Amino acid sequence: MVSRQRSPFATAVVIASLLFLFVPLLVVVLFSFHSVGALTLPFRGFSLRWYREIWKSDEFRTSLVNSAVVAAATGAVTMVLGTLAAYALSATRSRLRAPLALLLFLPLTLPGLFVGLSLLVMFGRAGVSLSLWTVAGAHLVYVMPYYLLIAVATLQRLDVALEEAAADLGATRWVVFTKVTLPQVWPVLMGATFLAFALSFDEFVITFFVIGPESTLPLYIFSSLRRTVDPSINAISTLLLAITLALFALSFALTTRGGRDQALAVPVEGGRREQQ
Amino acid sequence: MLAAIPAAAWMLAFFFVPLLIFAVYSFLTTRLYDVETPFTLQAYRDALSDPINRTLAWNSIVVGVLTASICVGAGLPIAYWLRFVADRSRLAVLFLITASMFASYLVRIYAWRTMLGKNGIINEALRAIGVIDEPLNFILYNRFAVVIALVHIFLPYVVLVLYAGMNPVSPSLLEAGQDLGASSSLLWRRVLLPIMAAPSFNAFVFVFVLSASDYVTPQFLGGTSGATIGVRVQTSFITLGNWPLAAATSFLMLASFGLLHLVGSALLRRMHLHDIRLAS
Repeated sequence: MVSRQRSPFATAVVIASLLFLFVPLLVVVLFSFHSVGALTLPFRGFSLRWYREIWKSDEFRTSLVNSAVVAAATGAVTMVLGTLAAYALSATRSRLRAPLALLLFLPLTLPGLFVGLSLLVMFGRAGVSLSLWTVAGAHLVYVMPYYLLIAVATLQRLDVALEEAAADLGATRWVVFTKVTLPQVWPVLMGATFLAFALSFDEFVITFFVIGPESTLPLYIFSSLRRTVDPSINAISTLLLAITLALFALSFALTTRGGRDQALAVPVEGGRREQQ
Repeated sequence: MLAAIPAAAWMLAFFFVPLLIFAVYSFLTTRLYDVETPFTLQAYRDALSDPINRTLAWNSIVVGVLTASICVGAGLPIAYWLRFVADRSRLAVLFLITASMFASYLVRIYAWRTMLGKNGIINEALRAIGVIDEPLNFILYNRFAVVIALVHIFLPYVVLVLYAGMNPVSPSLLEAGQDLGASSSLLWRRVLLPIMAAPSFNAFVFVFVLSASDYVTPQFLGGTSGATIGVRVQTSFITLGNWPLAAATSFLMLASFGLLHLVGSALLRRMHLHDIRLAS
């Protein structure tokens, strides 16, 4: 057993970074419960009035429902298409694997500004009117690479011997996939789907360009940020944080079930296919 | 392979085809909120010669370099801590950092506006403990505020990338160095930094590209000195209705990002730092 290094400097950077990352978010949450309209110190007591206020707004509730619909559609389609693609990527030895992976992972590297603008141009050219469906179509491009990162890594770690045994016993490829492969990986795939849902739920940069007259929760926050300065934005923000973080925690729990920090896409030492 | 066709077709239709059409637009002539032939390089000439574009491009470069440098500078010690220093708290810290990645983008921007404002938390807190009498005005609506918020957004990604890069380095490697009398600065210079050069560069490019092209943070936190080229692209398209100009500016940005990546990779290769494999 190797002893741990000591580094007061690195420890200090970690503590400072955690404070830097969380204090501003906690401040937003704290002031969502403020009993008066002020957004700064001193804190004058707790109340739920800003939550009641936003709940009265039809625009807010519609945006919430719209976000949920878009995220559910994106998550479901991503799960089906992404699982199939991940299976193909992890099983194939074809020369087409590299270009295919490029095609599927490239959107990860392109800023949302360009994705959004070029989709807006294409929808305009094709005469497609903008709606929640164009948003979901665009979100699929954005979340697919993240889903695939997790799904491919998981499928590659599976023991091929089980699949080969099933195939030797006469199972068709479809039966092998549904009866042998999927049962081993479905919790991770569910976790990745929640991740896709969370990413879609919070997406703003692309959505801004491809949405029609409707609104989603991030768009509602965007317009509130320009209009009002009172703790109702904090209340909406807190709800959005709660929803995405709950989805993340769920996803983290599901994807790390097999091995402790696989969900973080950190390569497990010792290489592939040693699990199970 | 057939199983990948639906996903691949979607990516073609909703990613590559739109980009191609957008590329064609950059060579067309502008007509208010539309384009027309003939094909021309005018949009590129306009994008390059426009003095506002030049100022904003420079702002973007400064914002991108600062954000990426701070992220990598803080990310390296954090990755080091996660790999070599942490014991039982490692998973908890890793969880917190990953969780913060999922905190809403707009909420973070809003959070920094409430933190840094004239009557913001930082000013009021400093006033309450008597450090200042008048609120500090220089912390919001400028480049500084934009960089702070962007570091907040991208630091978690950088930590994960650098931690993945640090993961194959065995603790015994550092111990061997220490047993032979190497100081920690020597270990960083001769062992860790060469190993971390490639992942650090990748993380740097990732953050540079995304922060230099961000168009939302500067709108809310940037004021005039913090405006960036991403905002310009958005307004060229939406407000000015000059689509070829927006397209040409976008592709010039993409080309410079590609160039940065190529030059950096070539440098790493020349210094033999691009692909260090560690025997396990």
